Amino acid sequence: MATDKIAVSGFRHVFQTEAGPVQATGTIDLTIQPGEFVTLVGPSGCGKTTLLKAIAGFIQPSEGTILCDGKPIKGPGRDRGVVFQELAILPWRTVRRNIGHGLEIAGASKAERDKTVARLIDLMSLTGFEDRYPHELSGGMKQRVAVARTWAADPEIILMDEPFAAVDAMTRLTLQEELARLCAATGKTVFFITHSVEEAIFLADRVLVMTRRPGTIKAELAVPRRNAGGRDWDSFTADPEMRDIAEKVMHLVHAERV
Amino acid sequence: MTVNRIVWRLLPAAPPAVLLLAWSIYWAIEQPPPSVMPSVVGVIATFGELALGDRLGADILASLGRLLGGAACGIVTGTIAGFVAGLHRPIAAFLTPLVVFFNAISGIVWLPLVIGWFGVGSALAIFLIWNSVFFIVFQNTVLGVQLVPEVLEYGVRTLGASRWESIRSVTLPGALPYILTGIRSGLGFGWRALIAAELVGATTGLGQLIFSGAEYHRADIIVAGCLIIGAIAMAMDRWLLLPIERRTVQRWGLIAPDRSR
Repeated sequence: MATDKIAVSGFRHVFQTEAGPVQATGTIDLTIQPGEFVTLVGPSGCGKTTLLKAIAGFIQPSEGTILCDGKPIKGPGRDRGVVFQELAILPWRTVRRNIGHGLEIAGASKAERDKTVARLIDLMSLTGFEDRYPHELSGGMKQRVAVARTWAADPEIILMDEPFAAVDAMTRLTLQEELARLCAATGKTVFFITHSVEEAIFLADRVLVMTRRPGTIKAELAVPRRNAGGRDWDSFTADPEMRDIAEKVMHLVHAERV
Repeated sequence: MTVNRIVWRLLPAAPPAVLLLAWSIYWAIEQPPPSVMPSVVGVIATFGELALGDRLGADILASLGRLLGGAACGIVTGTIAGFVAGLHRPIAAFLTPLVVFFNAISGIVWLPLVIGWFGVGSALAIFLIWNSVFFIVFQNTVLGVQLVPEVLEYGVRTLGASRWESIRSVTLPGALPYILTGIRSGLGFGWRALIAAELVGATTGLGQLIFSGAEYHRADIIVAGCLIIGAIAMAMDRWLLLPIERRTVQRWGLIAPDRSR
């Protein structure tokens, strides 16, 4: 059997604050297989961001281990790209230079950089905005740049923390379809956090549901992917099987309302 | 649009014009003794005299050289120390009391001591300018470094950036608005320190020009000297700092564009 891309076992995290220790998560076990798109849905404050930060390597777990390709995670690295909820693209770099930043750090040649950047600009519908600065873009455009920047660095796994929470509902639908298409085109392993049930099911191969704080994984549902060419909201909403899954997940999530 | 633009262009010239007008009117009514308050015409005549004389150019160059030397020392050391303190809390905790202590001590206090250390001349002026530029650049840089959003650094770390690369591509540009503000205020304080240093500890420079005017009760020379200092300071701000600001922090949308420039 192949190694898990990510294996979290016995993970538990406690934050030390001035007011005393705060238990951020319960005990969590999960695995992510190569090429899989796993979404994690749970109420706010349940500890999903803490788990993602630990996988990214920004925090050391209080208890338990996290392995990436069988090796323990020591800190952030280019094998694990992150798309943040807050905008993390650099205001002082143009769209082109933001997307090419990872390759620039890796020491890729200009020709190689240009090729990758051009491909992602095309895939993420950013054509014509290559030389704009982030402050000249709409919220949805900025988030596209953030996604493209992470993909361009070609990490092994991509961690996404509610990346579309701050954009308007219409743009969000487009971004979700674009993300599905991007994943189908590149076959990346993705771990995606959200509090939207529809978003979780629409994107996922597998949905994990978390309890309220201190969060643990309470359920896991596979989402059958019938056409590999990507998903779109029209066929998603028309599919009775998807509606069934959504109902089940909604039921699980509602029980955890805070 | 065009009228609006012309108004914005002319606006910076309005305060000096008002000041000149008020000065002329006051002088015409009160007729104060020229040794106390010179007339506008008198100062203009003195300008001509100074411009035709042989020391003004040398004085300006001497002062500018000291200012730029001292300010460069202050900006470089202030920015580097500010970065180190901004990135490491223990170092900030160690340096802050020292900075607050020394920042409270006026440059003039150092004069008698510094004359003993460096003698009279450019080294003295450069030290006093450094003393007034360093602290404000340091404090602004610390603040700027600490205010760069953590998520930006997280972002480039996951792209594989080293600590050094992250400082270069995130912290430095992120702190730039504050560093530039520090430099701008620092230059103003630098001019003040320069003239103070030159009044006592120099044989050339605009400070000496003003001092010699004071010796002969020539208020016109004092005012002319002040106007030259102010004009150079304004020119440096407009043609040195503003273009940098326009091409960096303003272009990046970190500060709102200024319509008057």
